[in-house]
Amino acid sequence: MILHDEKSDMEMRRMQRAKRFGALSLALTSVLLAAACGSSGSSGTTSGGGGGSSNVLVGAGSTLVAPLMSQWEPDYTKSSGVTITYGAVGSGGGIDAITSRAVDFGASDAPLSSDQAAACKTCLQIPWALAATVVTYNVKGVDDKLKLTGPVLADIFMGNITSWSDPKIAALNAGVSLPDTHITPIYRSDGSGDSYVFTSYLSAVSPDWQSKVGASTQPAFPTGTGAEKNSGIAAAVQSTDGAIGYVAVAYIASESLNEALLQNAAGKYPEPSVKAITAAAAAVTEIQPDGSVPLVNPPASAPDAYPMSTYSYAIVPQSSPKAEALKAFLTYAITDGQSFGPDLGYPALPDAIVTNDKTEIAKITT
Amino acid sequence: MATDLPRQSITLPTRGRPRIGDLGLRGLAGAAAALLVVVMVALVYEVAREAWPSIREFGLGFLISEDWNAVTNKFGALDPMWGTVVTSLVALLIAVPMAVAIGLFLSELAPRALRTPVTLLVELLAAVPSVVLGLWGILVMGPFLGQHVEPFLKDHFGFIPLFSGYPSNQGLLPACLILTIMVVPIVASISRELFLSVPGELKQGAMALGATRWEMVRSVSIPQVSGGLVAATMLGFGRAVGEAIAVTQVIGGTLGIHWSLFEPADTMASRIAAQYAGTATHLQRASLAYLALILLVISLITNIGAQLISVRIQRRMQGSSA
Repeated sequence: MILHDEKSDMEMRRMQRAKRFGALSLALTSVLLAAACGSSGSSGTTSGGGGGSSNVLVGAGSTLVAPLMSQWEPDYTKSSGVTITYGAVGSGGGIDAITSRAVDFGASDAPLSSDQAAACKTCLQIPWALAATVVTYNVKGVDDKLKLTGPVLADIFMGNITSWSDPKIAALNAGVSLPDTHITPIYRSDGSGDSYVFTSYLSAVSPDWQSKVGASTQPAFPTGTGAEKNSGIAAAVQSTDGAIGYVAVAYIASESLNEALLQNAAGKYPEPSVKAITAAAAAVTEIQPDGSVPLVNPPASAPDAYPMSTYSYAIVPQSSPKAEALKAFLTYAITDGQSFGPDLGYPALPDAIVTNDKTEIAKITT
Repeated sequence: MATDLPRQSITLPTRGRPRIGDLGLRGLAGAAAALLVVVMVALVYEVAREAWPSIREFGLGFLISEDWNAVTNKFGALDPMWGTVVTSLVALLIAVPMAVAIGLFLSELAPRALRTPVTLLVELLAAVPSVVLGLWGILVMGPFLGQHVEPFLKDHFGFIPLFSGYPSNQGLLPACLILTIMVVPIVASISRELFLSVPGELKQGAMALGATRWEMVRSVSIPQVSGGLVAATMLGFGRAVGEAIAVTQVIGGTLGIHWSLFEPADTMASRIAAQYAGTATHLQRASLAYLALILLVISLITNIGAQLISVRIQRRMQGSSA
């Protein structure tokens, strides 16, 4: 009798336990879920980006402007008390970050594509640094400053020229003994402003390239090997005999790479110096409706212009909760900030661009 | 009868106290399990949702298209799928015999003093972060293959399409070998445990019948664990298919299908890793998610397959021992 009672008692308890267990686990799950949804919801809806305080501005993007940015950060904090945090994740990553408003400003060497501009919703592109993309190579027995033309470069990257001793290369470099090394083109496998500048230039000088490949931050290179970021290209070029690739101008000096001299529209071979990039910027003054200023292949009227020059752009939303801080920082970057440029290889912005930038910056509101 | 009452009143509180802890444990564990299910479902849903524009645009044609072009906005998965299959299969082809041999050595053949340290080393290899292996691949293995091994293979076996083409530091071959290094410790430690699980009576029986050690391994141990080895191989396959970072570092992320092991190529995981940050178009992003969805499906199939096989083996073993 008692035994039986105990049994039913236990069964009842087990049932109660099961009920309580169910309720408890349900409660716990819903709490955890609510927490997860809460955080994702808030990051999705706040347009403030990085931090709540307007004493901090968070940015991400182009590796090309990163050296300049590292000078701006401490200098600007000293004069204004506003901290700048910049992540050099690459131009494409910067565009993604500002599109999702995960940061206060993005930075890109390529202007937004129409797709990206639509996704970014009323983003302004403000040219805030001048730089260049440079062709680099590594061929045993060949010194620095090999001469190349745009069409020859296009042929190399399309796989039409496969040997360094090709007559087309030899014709441009009288007196240089070129070995019969196989050419390994190396390109950026990630979305890159340098890829955009490089392929825009090739599209401008080679109709064949324009029709078969085109210009993009991630074009479909018909041949060659991919490498990540500027540093990846530098490493791949240095470790491969016969390699040719392209990097941002600052990496030529910092990684002690060879640079190729590119023929400009005037038929000259200017080095990618501050002077030659400035000459390119002076020759192209037309600002596109989307705010971009394409500098590749400047007209023959500028004999000293480097043909693969580019502006790097700040990408900012027209309405930002940190509008005032953002406007002040951008104004600093295009005026006082430019003084750091020439020592690092970035020429100062032309006055016309600075004037135009100021009108653009004034459009930012909360 | 009267003695029953006090006993009950004594046992109740002692029973009651652990019950609260019990309840908490079950609640927490249940919530964790429930959360896992929720996360899994949410993951598949989110990936599919991200991929939807690409699925709608390309449909199943995505699987057989070789396009990957952000300029024309056309995308297809054929060449990274090909790269994934080739790298994983070549890696398994090298890794599995080696790993089974290691497992056999550590369980049956090695001197006792060697077993523990070598087992530890094998397990240590499994713990090396893939990004470190990839870095070693870029700096050491890639250049060594490109400058010494590949020219040799090309000179002597160049007539085989696999060894045609120009030797290079990045390409399919270093990717296959990096994956081999990752798969070996997984399969080796599983097969070691499988061989250890073979009942001693069976082995002793074979020996007593006059079998040599090799005959014993071939006719008793290997048949006993064959199903388990298949499951281990499938786990290794899952690892190879999904590996992204180390492969990205050495494969040279390029487009198109090439026969040569020397040429750069790309796998699905490596393309996602290289391109997800900074896609040029919305459709490219969706197509990367589509690739992720395909990977997810392949991993699920591999894992389920491995589990089905090991369940079947267990049943068979129970059947034979009963």
